[in-house]
Amino acid sequence: MVLLLDLLTTAAMLFVVTAGLMMVFGVMKIVNFAHGAFLTLGAYASYVVTKLQIAPWLGWPLAIAAGVAAGMLVEWLIVRPLYKRPLDAILATWGLGIVIGQLIVMTFGREVQFVSAPLAGTWSILGVDYSAYRLLLVPIALLLCLLLTGLLNGTRFGVRTRAVIMNEELASSLGIHSGRVRFITFSLGAGLGTLAGAMITPLSSVDPNMGLPWLVSAFMLVMVSGHSMPSLLLTCTVFGAAQVLVSTYANPVLGGLTIAVLAAVTLRIRPKGFARA
Amino acid sequence: MSTFTSFLRCGAIAAAAAIALQAQAADPIRIGVAVGLSGANSVVAPAVVQSSQLAVDEINAAGGILGRKVELEIVDDASGAVGAQKAFDTLVFQKKVSAVIAMETSAARNAALPVISKGKLPYIYTSFYEGRSCNNWMYVNGWVPEQQVAPVVDYFAKSKNAKSFFLVGNDYAFGRGMLDFTKKYIEKNGGKVIGEEYLPIDGSDWTSVVSKIRSARPDALISATAGGAPNVSLAKQLKGAGLSLPYGNLAIDEGTAKTMGDVADGLYMSASYLTGIDTAENKKFVEAMKKKFGADLKTPNELSEPQYEAFFLFKAAVEKAGSTDAAKVTQALGEVSFNGPRGVVQMNKSRHTPLSMRLGQVQADGTIKILETFANVDPGAQCPNIK
Repeated sequence: MVLLLDLLTTAAMLFVVTAGLMMVFGVMKIVNFAHGAFLTLGAYASYVVTKLQIAPWLGWPLAIAAGVAAGMLVEWLIVRPLYKRPLDAILATWGLGIVIGQLIVMTFGREVQFVSAPLAGTWSILGVDYSAYRLLLVPIALLLCLLLTGLLNGTRFGVRTRAVIMNEELASSLGIHSGRVRFITFSLGAGLGTLAGAMITPLSSVDPNMGLPWLVSAFMLVMVSGHSMPSLLLTCTVFGAAQVLVSTYANPVLGGLTIAVLAAVTLRIRPKGFARA
Repeated sequence: MSTFTSFLRCGAIAAAAAIALQAQAADPIRIGVAVGLSGANSVVAPAVVQSSQLAVDEINAAGGILGRKVELEIVDDASGAVGAQKAFDTLVFQKKVSAVIAMETSAARNAALPVISKGKLPYIYTSFYEGRSCNNWMYVNGWVPEQQVAPVVDYFAKSKNAKSFFLVGNDYAFGRGMLDFTKKYIEKNGGKVIGEEYLPIDGSDWTSVVSKIRSARPDALISATAGGAPNVSLAKQLKGAGLSLPYGNLAIDEGTAKTMGDVADGLYMSASYLTGIDTAENKKFVEAMKKKFGADLKTPNELSEPQYEAFFLFKAAVEKAGSTDAAKVTQALGEVSFNGPRGVVQMNKSRHTPLSMRLGQVQADGTIKILETFANVDPGAQCPNIK
């Protein structure tokens, strides 16, 4: 039973962390290597909320605001000029990640910071006492998936975005302002990244390098999943489950490798990954 | 030549010698400090630098060493082997320091030792570590597992009646080394190790480990992770899962414990240095640090305080040897002692020092209550092949 809960909550965490990266990758075909830094930024937004001694839940909206603001700035300054050079843009985001990390060090210092958790304690579910906060992440991840899918499939913005995802040149020639779509998508992706960072603070230590270990897993997941949120949810569930199973029955060191190995194997067998048709 | 000319010549030579000697005497003694200003140790490095600076200030205020002022050469070893190689090459061959006093990761230390051997100068390693590192030029004033593990295990066995233990660590030299020793010690004293799990050094997801602990139901948990972030994530996830068994952390420091708020409440640790040690020397040390650094003070801790003592040990060794000659000073380092904040420190047991270990428990407000003090715990035969 505990194993099942571990599987579900790990999948939820992976989804929450990867959603932002997925949005950016789907639309702009570049992997935002500053995503780890955005995670860290979101966590520090939670830290600011703790310092100001206001309700911990307010860390989430503050994180989103910080992420969107940072995303807008980054897209305008760095990503847009490199639009014709996607490989250079990827490299630039890696450098950006380093810069953001160092800015955080200069502002807050290198030490681990204390952040109060919005929810503590355990819930008794199906005869087992399990971490309440982890359990909460499952419905949150599902809600997030629904919201994003709704956004992409049920709004005009979503239609335009999907057009750009499918064929940017054609969409442009049909009058869709692809530059604006990219701008909004990147900001949204950054906002999701910082929100995820704020969400994982009760489970991890808040320090300037906390986002990096997540970046590699998120990158692998994005490569394998298709371009839709539900397929990302599926990928996170399958790979997250594999990671937990390997960690539990073999050892955690191999568990850390699982996602990377599975991603390589999956892409070898089926280059489209989990995408449909 | 005439008497006058030879007299003049003698006088000139004497004057030249006096001037040279004078210049020699005014020559400062440069001590190299290699520390992880970047990388894994970057969180503790500022405290180590502060300890070094206070020690040098106090030594210079009292007249220096053999009348010569002490100067620091601080270099970043990036907390790892590659950085340490560069740092030590700089210190030993470019800056030509008289000694190196360093708080470093085991990886950095192991990369530094060949450079020290080639450069032939004394090296005082001030960090706690997994033990059994030996070099003809190195002395250690930090603790080894023989000193640190026993208080925690003994306390759990006696006061908590713990018979079954679960061990958790990070997968590197320190984590494996500490838990290897802990396992042997537990089994030698009649306990049983019912689980042993390792996570990679940058891993933050302890989910499966927490679940295994939950299902194994040990009487006590002991962890040896890397310092800083892994301590925090493990404790948070244990607390989040509602696990409240006695938990001894072999790798936590006072500073990190403070940042964990109520998550660290109840955690047991054993340390040779705590700011709460109630002796005149420690009070003097803490006051001096506060006065020098004020609001910028980084809490002195197990990784930074031995650095302070090492400078005084070096001073005593140079004074005993009568010069900064590397071989003589290295010999003298094994014979001198210093009465500092931790008590008397003397690196005369196989290049390591007996230490008084304090068993502490973290309180809800982040301070550490000293439960018991074990005086003069022997480090054991760390380097049987070195005289």
